[in-house]
Parts: sequence; C-alpha cells; structure tokens
Amino acid sequence: MNIQRLRLAVQLLSFTVLIYGGLFAIDLGNRLPTFACSYVPDHGGGCFLVGFQHMLSRPLPEFLGEQGIRLLKALGIASLWAIVLNKAWCGWICPFGLLQDLLTKVRVWLSIDMSRFSWMTRHRYKSVKYILLALLILIPLGIGNGLISRDWTAPYCQLCPARPLLPLFQGDTTQFAINFLSIPTMLLTGGAIILVGLMFTTSFVKRRFLCSYCPMLAFLSLFDKIGLFSLKKDGDKCTRCGNCYRACPMEIREIEEEKTLKNLVTQDCILCLRCVEACPENMALEAQFAGFSFLKADAEAFLARQDAVTAGTGTRKGRKKK
Amino acid sequence: MNELPPGQPAPAAPEGDRPLTRKERLIRKVRLHLAMTVREIFEEMEKDPSRPKAMAYFDDIFRKFMHNGEGVIKASDDQKVIGTYCVFVPEEIIYAAGGYPVRLCAGAHDSNEIGEDFLPDVACPMVKSEMGFAAMPILDFYQRCDMVALPASCHWKLKMGEMLEPFDDVHMLDVPRVKESEKARDYWLEEVRRFQRRVEKITGKRIRRRQLRDAIRKIQRAQREVVRFQNLRKTIPAPILGRDALEVLNAYFYDEVEDWTEALRALNEELEERIRTGVHAAPPRAARILLTGSPMVFPNWKVPFIIEDLGGILAADEFCTSQRYLSDMVSVDEGTMGDMLMAIAERYVLPCACPTFSNTIERRDRIARLVDEYRIEGVIYHVLKGCHPFDIEQKVIEQLLQEKGVPMLKIETDYSPEDVEQLRTRIEAFQETLKGRL
Repeated sequence: MNIQRLRLAVQLLSFTVLIYGGLFAIDLGNRLPTFACSYVPDHGGGCFLVGFQHMLSRPLPEFLGEQGIRLLKALGIASLWAIVLNKAWCGWICPFGLLQDLLTKVRVWLSIDMSRFSWMTRHRYKSVKYILLALLILIPLGIGNGLISRDWTAPYCQLCPARPLLPLFQGDTTQFAINFLSIPTMLLTGGAIILVGLMFTTSFVKRRFLCSYCPMLAFLSLFDKIGLFSLKKDGDKCTRCGNCYRACPMEIREIEEEKTLKNLVTQDCILCLRCVEACPENMALEAQFAGFSFLKADAEAFLARQDAVTAGTGTRKGRKKK
Repeated sequence: MNELPPGQPAPAAPEGDRPLTRKERLIRKVRLHLAMTVREIFEEMEKDPSRPKAMAYFDDIFRKFMHNGEGVIKASDDQKVIGTYCVFVPEEIIYAAGGYPVRLCAGAHDSNEIGEDFLPDVACPMVKSEMGFAAMPILDFYQRCDMVALPASCHWKLKMGEMLEPFDDVHMLDVPRVKESEKARDYWLEEVRRFQRRVEKITGKRIRRRQLRDAIRKIQRAQREVVRFQNLRKTIPAPILGRDALEVLNAYFYDEVEDWTEALRALNEELEERIRTGVHAAPPRAARILLTGSPMVFPNWKVPFIIEDLGGILAADEFCTSQRYLSDMVSVDEGTMGDMLMAIAERYVLPCACPTFSNTIERRDRIARLVDEYRIEGVIYHVLKGCHPFDIEQKVIEQLLQEKGVPMLKIETDYSPEDVEQLRTRIEAFQETLKGRL
C-alpha cells in the first residue's frame, strides 16, 4: 500500500468536502481544528478558531454565565475532534497543508533541491507556535475587556494566509485584499498576503514551511499523548540510518535519534507517515490508531517503494524483470 | 617501482643468463604461494558434496587469483577502474560516472611479506597485505586502478594513504568519527561531493540525475537479493555453509554488480529449492555461530573453515566485508540530485557499525538483532593482531552478550596459517560447551 498516494487522495477528498461541501449540503460544523476557512462561501466545514476568537472577545465576568458554557462547548467539540484524529488533521485534512504539499511536488518535478534549517535554528523557533497560541487567547480577551482596539477583532483570521487563498477556489477574490480601514487591519491583512507569498516562495525551498509556526499545530500538539493516532518506535530495531529524518517534512530529529521514547508523535509531527515508509527495518516504526496497528515499517515495502522512486515514471518496467 | 607491466604472467625462467633480481624472485614467490593457498581452499571446498551448484560462479572469480587475478574484474579496456577500501566509498557515484569500482581490502598472508617493508610490525595483517598487493604486481586488478579511494577510518588506513602514493593516485576521504553532530554530517556530504567531482574528473563523465538514479537502483537490486539471501540463511537447518556465504558476499568486491546480482539470484533460487526438498548444509543440531570483529577477506578463511569442519555452522557474520557492507541501503526520498547525494552519504556513515566511530550503539544493537534473528548460540569475536578498534570494543560486546546469555569466545590471530591447530583446539572446546548447553 502506498501511503503517500492514499494520503494525497484523502487530502484531495477533504479539500473538496471542506471547500465545496456546502454546495452539496454537507456541513461538518464550524468547530474543526484545521484550516477549513469559514470565509469560503458554501464551505463544507469551518475552522473553529473563528468562533473561538469571537467568543473570547467578551468581558471576563460574562464567562461565568452562559457565555462560558458556549465557550467550553466549542472548545470541547474541537478537542474531541483533536483527540480522535489528532495530527492527522494537519497531514491528511488541512487544505492549506495540501496546497503546500502540491507546491512541493512542483518543486521536485522541477528538480530543485530542498533545504533544511540548521538544528539550532529549528530548535530556537519551536516555541513560536505556542506564543502564537497564547496570543490567540490573550488578544481577544484584551479586546473584550477594552484593553485592545476593536480593529484587532479575530486577529488570527485577519492574519491567516488561508483566508485570502482558500475562497479563491470558489471564485471569491474579495478576501484577497488588504483592508485599509485602520492601521491594525492593514497590518494583519497585509501580513496575510505576505504569508501567502511566503508560502509560495518557501515551497520551492522547504517543505511545509509555515506549518511549524501554525497555532493550530500548537493546539493539536496538546493532544499528542491522548490522541488516538500514535507513532511507535522500537529503539532496539533502529539502526539510526536517518532515512526517517530525511523524509520528514517537519524536520523532526527525534524520530531518528530517539531510542527509548515509545510514542513519537512529537509537537511538530503532522502524521504524514513518511518516516514509517522510509524505514527499512522491520517493525522499527509503527503507526497505530486506538492501539490497532495499521502501518508497520517493513523491509519489503521499503524496497518496493524504492523501486518505484528510482524507476522515475516507468514503475512497471522495473518490476517486470523480477 | 612498477617496472613490470600489470597482468603479465609470473616472471618465467630468466632470459638468457640474467639471474632474477631479488624483486622478481619475490614476486614469483608470492604469486606461487598465493596460487597454492587458493588451490588448497578449493580442494577443501570440493570435499563438500552438498555445495550448491550456483556456487560455481563465485568459485570462478576466486580461482582466478591463482592466475595473477586476471579477469577477476570485468572492466572494459576503456573503463576507468577505481579501487576502494573500507565500507565508506560510495560505489553509486563510481558506477554513475561510468567507472568500475573494485574493493581492494585484502586477506592474503602471502603478500604480507612485501607489506612488512612499509609498515611497523604491529600493523594489522590487512593493511600489510593490501600494501603488498599495491606495491608489487601480484594481482592484476591492483595495478589496473586509475584511482584509489581510501577512507580515513582507522589509523592504519589513515596513514596508508601516503604510503600508497608512490603506487597509486590516492583520494583520501575523511570520515567523521563523531557522526551524531550536524556539522559532521554536512562535512561528510561535502566529502562525498568532493569525491564525486574527483571521480568525474577521472572518468571524464559528468554525473547527472538519471545516471545516479540508475546506479542507486543497480546496487539496491543487488542488496535486495542480499536481503533474500540472508533471510534464507535464517532457516534451520542451514541451507548453505557460512563459508560459502562469506565467499558469495566477498565476490561482490570484484564482480560487476548486475552479473553478481544475477548469480546471487540463481543461488537464492537453488537455496529455496533446497529448503523445499529438505537438503541442508549442516545438521539441524549444529551449533549456530556468529562471527564478528575484524574483517575476513578471501583467502583468509581459516576461522570459518575450522568452525564448520568441527561441525558448527557459521549462521551469520557481522563483518564490514560481508553483512555490514551490503545490508544498509540508500533511501531515495525526493529523487532530486541533492536528495540522492545526501541519501548516499548518509547510507555509508549513519547506520554503519564500524568501531572507528565514537560510539558502539549501532554495533551493539546490530549484534543483538543478529543474535535474535539468526538464533545464534555462540559468538566468536575475531581480532586481527594490530586491529585496535575491534579489540577495544570487545569488552562492550562481551558485556552485551553476557546480558543476553550468549557465550563468546575471543580469538586473536593474523593471516598466517601457523596458529590453525591452536585455534582449532580453542574453537572445538568452545563448541563443545555450546553442545553441553543444549
């Protein structure tokens, strides 16, 4: 089974459902922990951060009443989603992630080498997503309590690169603009356009560049330990050949280095499972869902995949000889 | 010093009245001795009636050592031959540039005599043997090398570069010792790129994406057969003797990779057939031995011969000349030039269990896995005199095996046949204790 092909298929399906679902009367609700932009007309499911930010923009005493219940309910639904599919939201569902993966395919097709951050740089910026997540809560609270101007309303939607980009797929260009209403809106919406530009340019250099800074990834990473998807590693079987690290779009070094830790869904993991596929040692890596193992590192599968990769387009030609 | 053209038969009777010079006499003697050593090995092997028929292909390669090694390598006349040492030289690059790699690590006691002129007494017999072959025209393919790639792995290899300079065009590869660090990996990748440029210069062909991909593929296919072969060796009772397995993997040094793959495929098919029909090379109760430590290269096969003559079965080995050489594979991810080069660079260093690296984790884990997978009952730790890296690691491995409850015997020897009887006594006693455990 070629997991990457399956993943692409699932990504395309989720993209279709999330962006065009509304046209077929599909509604997955507005509490999805992924970049399914609510600004897309007739979307099939919406990102929970929009509502979350609005709900937080209230004076503090209100949270003791009905508002607090509503907030907890929204958070609860999103958390439930996050527990069931944890990081699969990033690697398998996120429409914005799909766009980055597709651009990576273009880069590979143009045979442009990828590059990686130095380990130090990578390490240094790991906390950025958590800072962004904290601000995601603090700024709306500030707005609700009169500390911050209303122009900062739903700052993450204004700043999010998915907002200008995803409505384009329904022919809606209105979001692809800078809002000159005030300085904060200008900064935020201008920032979004810059992020879109960054996404396009960095995709020709790195893989999933923006994901490492995504506050949604930070939110989902809170459920790494209890999420139903897990990535197991048997350190005794590992030869530390580094194949998994090289295959990892998120540049997670633990996957290669770790010899004792059992669950390898680390904070940046997006569960793309490329590491499991790149692993040549039987059973060294294993992906599980709710304790049920559905993908294991396997020498034969590794070889078959290598056969396909090195054969370029003519996969069948290589197999015929055998 | 290379006044004799390569590949010329041993100097015959002196022309006219001219007596042979000391050097000519030496060359003649070494060639004769080597031929005798090889003949003895094959006479011994022929006594075994149950050898797989597909072994004949590999025998042919080694039999050519009796005739100055002519025809051992299959490089065409216009093809550049690049000699390699150790397990760190990326052969994919050589094949991609249209060159022909041949691994020069040597196991002949007979050429030690020449090597001793260059090296101190305590040097390991492997470098002495290699120096001997490099310095004098004994084996044809040592003289045919247009370039020799030498990784600075152990101290002997590090200093051998300079000694080889009068005889070969030497390219040193600096293998990082502490491979965990990021800079070490970057540095090694740069070393591989430097090697690539050098090889391109020698062969005059630029390596493009396609050639590199094809070369990777060729070697992966060979390794795929190795995986199959090794899996067959896990069968009890063993379908093939360990010494034959050593020979098969050793032949990869010299043979053209695709031919070798085909020959191994034929052997694998025969072994599968044998397993089906219940033909085996050793009795089911034969003690399953793992050999590890300093490498063993043809014709230094005295230890495997002793083990199997005494009724044991060499079930697996952990030598850089066989199992370790071919088990780790290049993993192409994106298939861009940079990705492939990085994959090649990492394959040769990161999973490598050579004791010249700073830690023993890789080797310990590898041995533990081999012991489990091949159901090993006893381990023989082979140290060549003067091979410090393996000698140093012996304690750690002994401790590991103690924890696993697998007995270990350490033997320290060299290439000379003098200690065969003594080794036989010790190995026999060791295998007796293994029988007692059953």
